[in-house]
Amino acid sequence: MFPDWMNGAPSPFDSVLVANRGEIAVRILRAAKESGLRGVAVYSNPDKDSFHVEIADEAIHLPGDNLSETYLNMGAIISAAKQSGTQAIHPGYGFLSERADFAQAVLDADLVWIGPSPEAIETMGDKISARRRMIESNIPIIPGEELAIEYGDNPLGVLASSAARVGYPLLVKASAGGGGKGMRAVHEPKMLRTEYEAAAREASAAFGDGTVYVERLLTGSRHVEIQVLCDKHGNSIHLNERDCSLQRRHQKVIEEAPSPAVTTEIRDAMGLAAIRAAQAVNYDGVGTVEFLLTPKGDFFFLEMNTRLQVEHPVTELITGVDLVQKQFEVAAGLPLEISQSDIGITGHSIEARIYAEDVSKGFLPAIGKLAMWRPPSTPGVRMDSGFREGDEVTVDFDPMLAKLIVHAPTRSAALRRLDSALSEFIVLGVTTNVGFLREVSRSKAFSEGLVTTDFLDNISLDEFLEPKIDDSILVSISAASNRLRIDRHSSNTNSDVIDEYSGHSDDPFKTLTRSFP
Amino acid sequence: MEWSIGNSGPRYVASFSDNDGILKLSKLVSNDVEKSISNISISRDEQPRRVLVELDGVISLAHVVRSGDQWWIHFQGRIHVVSMHEPGSKDTSSSEGSLSAPMPGTILDVLVKPGQRVRQGQTLLVMEAMKMEHRIQAPKAGEVTAIHFQTGERVDMGQNLVEIS
Repeated sequence: MFPDWMNGAPSPFDSVLVANRGEIAVRILRAAKESGLRGVAVYSNPDKDSFHVEIADEAIHLPGDNLSETYLNMGAIISAAKQSGTQAIHPGYGFLSERADFAQAVLDADLVWIGPSPEAIETMGDKISARRRMIESNIPIIPGEELAIEYGDNPLGVLASSAARVGYPLLVKASAGGGGKGMRAVHEPKMLRTEYEAAAREASAAFGDGTVYVERLLTGSRHVEIQVLCDKHGNSIHLNERDCSLQRRHQKVIEEAPSPAVTTEIRDAMGLAAIRAAQAVNYDGVGTVEFLLTPKGDFFFLEMNTRLQVEHPVTELITGVDLVQKQFEVAAGLPLEISQSDIGITGHSIEARIYAEDVSKGFLPAIGKLAMWRPPSTPGVRMDSGFREGDEVTVDFDPMLAKLIVHAPTRSAALRRLDSALSEFIVLGVTTNVGFLREVSRSKAFSEGLVTTDFLDNISLDEFLEPKIDDSILVSISAASNRLRIDRHSSNTNSDVIDEYSGHSDDPFKTLTRSFP
Repeated sequence: MEWSIGNSGPRYVASFSDNDGILKLSKLVSNDVEKSISNISISRDEQPRRVLVELDGVISLAHVVRSGDQWWIHFQGRIHVVSMHEPGSKDTSSSEGSLSAPMPGTILDVLVKPGQRVRQGQTLLVMEAMKMEHRIQAPKAGEVTAIHFQTGERVDMGQNLVEIS
């Protein structure tokens, strides 16, 4: 049974398998349910009780101990779709989402692939070929050399001469990289070898390809990206920009839309460049074209992500477009029913990534049990998460626990809403960056919209220490809680929960809980 | 019981006066020295894992959870961790001069040899955890007296990696 909205679609489907886990699997499975599609999850051993499995209509186990046997196992995932009679596959982000061979294998298995063509993924996925394609399409790129150094070659001669031509500071980047992995800044020649080796090693571990290239490091720039949306009939629009300048070692920390640095002129120019970039590879579906924006207002193509982005919610909130629903429609072959003139900007949206990490120990990933997990729930606050109270945070996967996204009429109202939502977020049992996010978002630089991509890397983290509270307060609360046996009380939650709904003897609402035959 | 903020820092012993389940802080001692205290009383709330905190006459809620020997607290919009210690016990955190694995992972590279002098902040080992590289750096200058792991070996959280004299 196809849902009504799929009437007339050239490639209709009634079900979607999500080849992913965590918050993005939850996001897509919910969208599927809302759109009348059957949602099928896959999971590996550590995920057998996880949230995305719970909310799926059906969940298929992927046996094996490591990622290559499970979430990266193309054969097993396609078999899972076939076995469950699922007609489409959504890859989410990460894992297999930017693997052209996976997209091709899905198509070869007569399944609907929710993503762009394998050719588009291939061209944009390889940073070197993407740069070349952008040059052909007259899109400005960062000065650099697309020299390919394969892992295992003795690289230093080629690397050093190329580095000298590009100039320091520079970036050694994995051609297959992404998410800050396989990318290292080099500020002086003597660090070239160490940083190259780290980049190549990280890239071969994460992407199975240690090929790197060299690019000029543009300091003092902002990371601004354009969301594009294209159908299979030649219609392409953009959904404005997102500003992801607040990064730590090239990993995004806070993202927002619109960008405080983008004027209408820049937005229009960048939007057109992004659409040209997408059209250069006959793109379809949702995609993101990333640019570096210099203080002078020039922008350069960084890369195109041929998938849904982690930070897609900020665009959804300011444009009102549900990007996952649009992915379904485009994959089914339906034309876009919106045009560029339908896309406006309503208010301001900010996303903060909640990580299980210890900021005071160099952002070391933290593990443990989410003994208490109470996300804020107030108007204008959206929470995308793959965790529930009681879940274990382990070393098996990425330490991102959730995304807290706020929407408000203005940027300053959004900042206040973010601060308030972070302060109400109760997460106990696992160390997180919640306090750090509050301090960073309250900093003068961020609140004035002046942050560039090197901001967090060039500042002492002591600037973001949380305010001290008198030791005697904290000792009192713990020692008294211990003496009052608050922990014993919590082991008895069943009766407490019943009490909460049935009411105590003086509760005026008690009669509401009586049962009817 | 003795209490410390986070894992380290001074140990405290707290005394309360108990007025029908309302515990009012009466004394706080650290290293045999009596500390100045806030005007604070704690009592049970009807909801589980929640206490009422009266601070200078203002009542607010704190969410509390015990996890092992730690109490996690959400109070006034901030999250805190307080450790509980048996009276007179030693700190359980890694002993002076040894460096323990901050998380489970794999050793990617060992950059120093036993007997080598190292300066503070020098990278000793590179390990991989959660698909990212982490550099283990010397907390102080000294001489490397022992290295317990080789490249490629898996380590568990808290295992001693390197000793520095």
